[in-house]
Amino acid sequence: MTAATVAEIRQALAETLDPEYPVGLVDLGLVRGVELDGGTARVEIAYCSLGCPCIALIEADIEERLLRLEGIERVEVREVFEPWSRRDVSAKGLRILREAGVG
Amino acid sequence: MLTDEQVAQRLGEGRLVEGPDYASESYVKGLARTLVVSGDTELISAPAYLKAAAHAPRLQSYISVVGIIQDELGHAHIAYRMLRDLGVDTDELIYERDPSDFRHPYAFDVPLESWSEMVVANGFYDRAGFVLLSDIFEHTSYGPWKRALVKVDREETFHLRHGEQWMKTLAADTSAHDDLQRAVDWMFLMTLEWFGLPDDLKRHREQIEFGLKGKTNDELRQTWMSTAVPFCESIGIDVPAHFDAERGEYVIDCPFPQQFDEAGKRWLTEEGEVSWDEVLERWRRRGPANEELVELIQRGRLELARAA
Repeated sequence: MTAATVAEIRQALAETLDPEYPVGLVDLGLVRGVELDGGTARVEIAYCSLGCPCIALIEADIEERLLRLEGIERVEVREVFEPWSRRDVSAKGLRILREAGVG
Repeated sequence: MLTDEQVAQRLGEGRLVEGPDYASESYVKGLARTLVVSGDTELISAPAYLKAAAHAPRLQSYISVVGIIQDELGHAHIAYRMLRDLGVDTDELIYERDPSDFRHPYAFDVPLESWSEMVVANGFYDRAGFVLLSDIFEHTSYGPWKRALVKVDREETFHLRHGEQWMKTLAADTSAHDDLQRAVDWMFLMTLEWFGLPDDLKRHREQIEFGLKGKTNDELRQTWMSTAVPFCESIGIDVPAHFDAERGEYVIDCPFPQQFDEAGKRWLTEEGEVSWDEVLERWRRRGPANEELVELIQRGRLELARAA
């Protein structure tokens, strides 16, 4: 088996859903950087707000999902204090949020 | 206002009730009773969780619980807003009612006093809230409530996941496992009790007849156990219930209901099964935290009124 690529990590993050709404983290516009260093995946995440109550859950979900990829032994999630707004949400993400009664 | 027969006929045609003008007096009464229980439960969970949040082991977990509290207050706001639209004076309802007249489950009147108890509340109580509100969302014949509930279950999912994540962490930690088990020991039966009288003793039937909810108390209890029991088993925490494959349902493995020792926070299993009348009597007396929690909600308004 070959080790996971950055593209596969992005795909796995796209499949990792927000703890409240069934929108993937990529569609939500939270993923700001992906790096692969040997068996270590480094992910940069911007949260919707500084006081986001789901930070620990999202970090745990990312770690759990990426460790299932071939060759990933370590996952580092780094919070970046970048602005986030609804403009960062993809068209698909906005559609799902509307169906869930948001936005 | 319509008659009961007219309401039943409209519901039979698959129409939703869009307001008191399209309902009968007993429909509105049943709806109001259901909304008060829902609003009070969400509202009282806020001060109960806020006191327990003080035990958070990390800043991030403190933020999570405070986020949960904000959601709960939002859910309470939905129920009270529906009541206001039915003509209820909600200021009087919230701020002038005697603590013992609040309709939240007895479970919240037993104080949450550790981080273990806080996260089991998220794992058990919020799961009960999720089960009850999902049923209302799916089955309620009251249109305004159905639409308002779209977001609620999403938020309860987060509360539940927060509880499960932490229960899993504490269960795997040898120094925290026993404390978690002790919390589960009193909170499991407490949540089973929450769903109320068994179907064969239930007196009010209008909730089902008017389509205010879909599942009966016993069915809701089963739905709750169908996820709570396997989850606890998966993390190595004991619960007094198991799935009986032959009967195709969950079976409670201890006397139920039981009497509860409030000071010791334990079930008096040695005294065996008690009657539901005794349980109702305990619920009517309310539990040790009742007055304090209601006072935390009412205090600000009273202080402002006194200062004026």
